[in-house]
Amino acid sequence: MASSAETSAVRLASCDCLTPFGNAAATLSALLRGERALQPVPVLGLEGGDAVPMALLPGRALDETNPPAWLHSLQTLLAPVAGPQWGTSRRPVCVTSSNFGVGSLYELRRTGETGHAAQGTPHGSVALVRRTLGWGENVAIFSHACVSAHLGLVHATRLLAAGAADEALVVSYDFLSPFVAGGFHALKILNADFPAPYQDRATGSIGLGDGAGYAVLSRDRGGLALAAHSLHNEMYHFTANRPDGAGFAAALGPLAAAAAGRRLWVKGHGTGTLEAGRLEAAAIARAFPGAPLVGWKGSLGHTLGSCGLVELAVAAAAIGAGRTPGTVGSAPPAFTDSVALAPFDNAAFDGVVCASNAFGGAHAALLLSHA
Amino acid sequence: MLERYIQAVRTDAPGNEEPAATRERLKSRFAPGAVRRMTQLGMLVGAALGEMDPGEEDTLVYASQFGESRALEGYLESFPGASPTLFQTSIHPSGAQQGLIGRQRSVREFFPLAGGAQLVSCTVQAALLAASERVLLCGGEERGTWLVAPGAASDLAFAFALALNRTRQSGAVGRLALEPVADAAGALALAEWFDLLHNRRAFAGAVAPGWRLTLEWL
Repeated sequence: MASSAETSAVRLASCDCLTPFGNAAATLSALLRGERALQPVPVLGLEGGDAVPMALLPGRALDETNPPAWLHSLQTLLAPVAGPQWGTSRRPVCVTSSNFGVGSLYELRRTGETGHAAQGTPHGSVALVRRTLGWGENVAIFSHACVSAHLGLVHATRLLAAGAADEALVVSYDFLSPFVAGGFHALKILNADFPAPYQDRATGSIGLGDGAGYAVLSRDRGGLALAAHSLHNEMYHFTANRPDGAGFAAALGPLAAAAAGRRLWVKGHGTGTLEAGRLEAAAIARAFPGAPLVGWKGSLGHTLGSCGLVELAVAAAAIGAGRTPGTVGSAPPAFTDSVALAPFDNAAFDGVVCASNAFGGAHAALLLSHA
Repeated sequence: MLERYIQAVRTDAPGNEEPAATRERLKSRFAPGAVRRMTQLGMLVGAALGEMDPGEEDTLVYASQFGESRALEGYLESFPGASPTLFQTSIHPSGAQQGLIGRQRSVREFFPLAGGAQLVSCTVQAALLAASERVLLCGGEERGTWLVAPGAASDLAFAFALALNRTRQSGAVGRLALEPVADAAGALALAEWFDLLHNRRAFAGAVAPGWRLTLEWL
């Protein structure tokens, strides 16, 4: 990818997601109505603790079951692209997540029931999914916190570009548990406040959400293209970004160059933390002057390693519907004038930049445009 | 066929060495005070990777099946008062990030992989598909304690780092290639891959359905 964005002609043959609102179409509708999926939930589930904003799938408890309760939901999400050929060498699968089945390890520790262990590791969790869905063994597993889904998309793009695959399926899933909720609560960024991405306020906060998504990448199917990707890893601090925003600029600059001349809107990362939100909004305003910026984690919560794919599916649905949801959960004043708080028509735009960030100062962004 | 040339190799096989001993052995490789909060895997991978002098334009590919086993165990034990430090440290791919953050070395591309039987094939594939001139391929494991028995942590500690160039250059020590082969089936575990590198043994065979790996030493 060097210092320029990696451009491609890879198309999005199909793409969908699962949030507490339902699939991408249902999620888009809810976001356009300004609905918020986040609800106060005890941070440690059965063990109690402070109530913090989380968006769980309807009927799913925070505590993991054996087998995991989310497995059927994932199977339902992927039913439209089910088939015997996924996981073969010409139709590989990339699975991305930051959680995989780690909620099962929390249950192993909490209950002592060893049956939870098998799906507690990334490979164990993916093996369970693979068996359930009937995939072959060619399944690559990427785990890079909250930019994980982007890496799966880049890898799949490269497989297609190199002629090493005919089509590729990228799947991402992150289902919450006390393990991850307790961690963010301990970091004091998951608290009683609901997130308000890009809103200039006194205290920042995030929400967490269940989420899963998939994308089938193809060389010749689909009306939308993953036209460019850009990555950057600051390696400045485990959780903080460089205070000058250089990491955001390093990731967005190459993509801005690749997208020159196009009229774009931007779906940012926007978790609701203050410092990262301020840096991100400023960097986006500089890289894409005049482009409206939206973030949806104020409603859906942060779906962690899957946010890149969940929000890509919503963005693709928004392009299809001609209407982009605003930054749900936020109110004036915003960090920059470019933050769009209300929905807007997107028919006049050429595409959308979808950006995600992660621990370690990891940045990833892609350009989704008409093929 | 995807291929690259191995310009440099570093391996570390600490055996049953405890994290404190690893810290003492490797502390000179890191900035003063940096190792205090590093995991054993972070120190092992960080030391091996550090010898490759990672740079901004290198692609970094990292493989670990289990990641920070000890931090994960410690974090789980910290409930109900969850430890923020152990939470951060337990997250994949902390093992590769620790050394780079200590050295303040940014990299444009970083592909951390996890996995089981296909981890090596997928990791090599990611490395060989990279667009950059140089790829640093690293990985390893640390020995867990109570998560070993239920199969959720490694019972071995090891680390490796390879510098891979697109073209054969002076001083190249090996060649790595991955080619599609119909009807091939196989697997190569990360520990087996480490043994090949550590003992400079050649390999040619299927590592995933439809993919054949060649590792040769020049």
